[in-house]
Amino acid sequence: MHLTGLDLLFWAAGLGAHLMLLCVLLIRSRFKGFPIFTMFVASNIGRTVALYLVQFYGNKASYFYTYWSLAILDTVLQLSVVYEMYSLTFRPLGQWAHDLQGPFIWLVAASIGVAAGLTWLAAPHTRLWMQVVVIKGSFFSSTCMSELFVGMVALSVMAGLPWKTHVAGVSQGLGVYSIIDVLIEAGHSYFGVDRNTQVYTTLSHFRMSAYLCCVAYWIVTLSKDAKETRKLPESLRGQLILIQANLNLDLKRVRARRRL
Amino acid sequence: MDRTGIFISAVLIFVVSLIAIAAYYYRRARKSNQNDWDNLLNRLTRVDRSSIAEVALDVIDESGRQRTDQGSAVLEPQQIWKLLGGMEGIEALKANCTVLIDLAFYLQQQYPEALVVTEQLRLSAREIEWQVGRLRGAAESGKLAGAFPMYGQRAAAAYYLMTQRLLDLYQQGDHLKLTALQKAL
Repeated sequence: MHLTGLDLLFWAAGLGAHLMLLCVLLIRSRFKGFPIFTMFVASNIGRTVALYLVQFYGNKASYFYTYWSLAILDTVLQLSVVYEMYSLTFRPLGQWAHDLQGPFIWLVAASIGVAAGLTWLAAPHTRLWMQVVVIKGSFFSSTCMSELFVGMVALSVMAGLPWKTHVAGVSQGLGVYSIIDVLIEAGHSYFGVDRNTQVYTTLSHFRMSAYLCCVAYWIVTLSKDAKETRKLPESLRGQLILIQANLNLDLKRVRARRRL
Repeated sequence: MDRTGIFISAVLIFVVSLIAIAAYYYRRARKSNQNDWDNLLNRLTRVDRSSIAEVALDVIDESGRQRTDQGSAVLEPQQIWKLLGGMEGIEALKANCTVLIDLAFYLQQQYPEALVVTEQLRLSAREIEWQVGRLRGAAESGKLAGAFPMYGQRAAAAYYLMTQRLLDLYQQGDHLKLTALQKAL
C-alpha cells in the first residue's frame, strides 16, 4: 500500500495527539475517573504503532486483517466509553436511576432501529462484498454512537441529572465527532469504492482532521480543573441524613398507595 | 427518487434532527446551569398550598404516614377535584415539579455533598410527573372522573411531602432563601 506524505502526517499527528492526551490523563490523574476512556486512548496508540509496523514488515493481507481487527476493537471500546459516560451521569448514587430504565431501553432500541434502517438504505458501489460490509458497518456504528450521545444530552436534561465538567468534555467531543462521522460515512457509501479511491481517501482525511480536533479538545478540557464547589456547611450535614431517611420512607409510602 | 437519493435525504434529515435535538437540550442545560435562586422561584406557579395540604392530609398525617383512622379518606371526588383546581391545578403541580427538579439540580451544584437528598427530591418529582402522566392518559381515554381522585390525591400527597422536605432542607441552611421558598410554594 502506497502512503502519501499527507497520510504519514495524519498518522504522526494522531500518534502525537494520543500520546499527549494519555499524558494528561496520567499526570492529572483523570485515569482514575475514566478507566475505560484511558484504555480507549491507550489502545489508539497501540493501534497506530501496530499498523505502522505491519505496514513496513507485513504484506497487504496481514495489514488488511490487522486493520479491521483493530477497527472492531476500537468500535467496542468507543461503545464502552459511551457506557462509561452514561454510568458517570445516570448512576448518581452508585445505582442506575430507576426512573430512567424505561427511557434507556427505548433509546437503545430506537437508536439500533434507526441506524439499521439507514444502513439498509445505503447501497455503496464497491468491487468486493467485503467493502460493502466495511462501509455499512462503519456507517451503522457512527449512527448509533451519535444517537446515543444526543440521547444522553436529552435524558440528562429531562431527568435533571447534571453532567460533571470532564464527563461533559469527553461526551461533547465524541458526540460532535460521531455526528461529523455520520456524514463522512454517508459520503463513503454515496461515492463508493471503485478503481479510483481518491474520494474515499479525501473523505477519510476529513474524518481524521475532525478526530484530531476532538482529541485536541479533550487535551484542553481534561487538563483543566473542574469548577470549584462549595463545602457543605456542618449545620446542614446532620439535617441531610435525617431528611434522607424521611424521604426514603415517603417514597415507600407513595409506592404503597400506588398499589392500593 | 432512486434508493441512493432516498438514502442521502434520510441521512440529511437524520443529521439535522440530531443537531436540532442536541441544540435544544444543550440550551436547556445551559439555562439550568445559569439558574440562580430568584429565577427558579419566579418560575414556580402559584398553587393554593392550603388546599393541597387539605387533600394530602386527608390520606396522610403530617409526618407522611398513611392515615387509617375513621376521619381519613373522607373527601369526595368532587371536593378533591375542586380543591386541586381540576386538571389545570394538577398541571400546575407538574410544572412546579420541573422547577423542583431544577432546584435539586441547583442544590447539587452548590453542595455536591447533598447529592443523596437532591437525588431523592428529583426522584419524588419524577414520580409525581408519572402520576400526572396517568391522569393525562385517563383524560384522553375519557376516564378522568374515575382516575382523578386516585392519582390526583396521590400526586397532591407526594407534592406536599416533597415540598415539606425541601423546606426542611433549607431550614438549616439559609433562612432568607427559606422565607422566599415558603412564599413561592
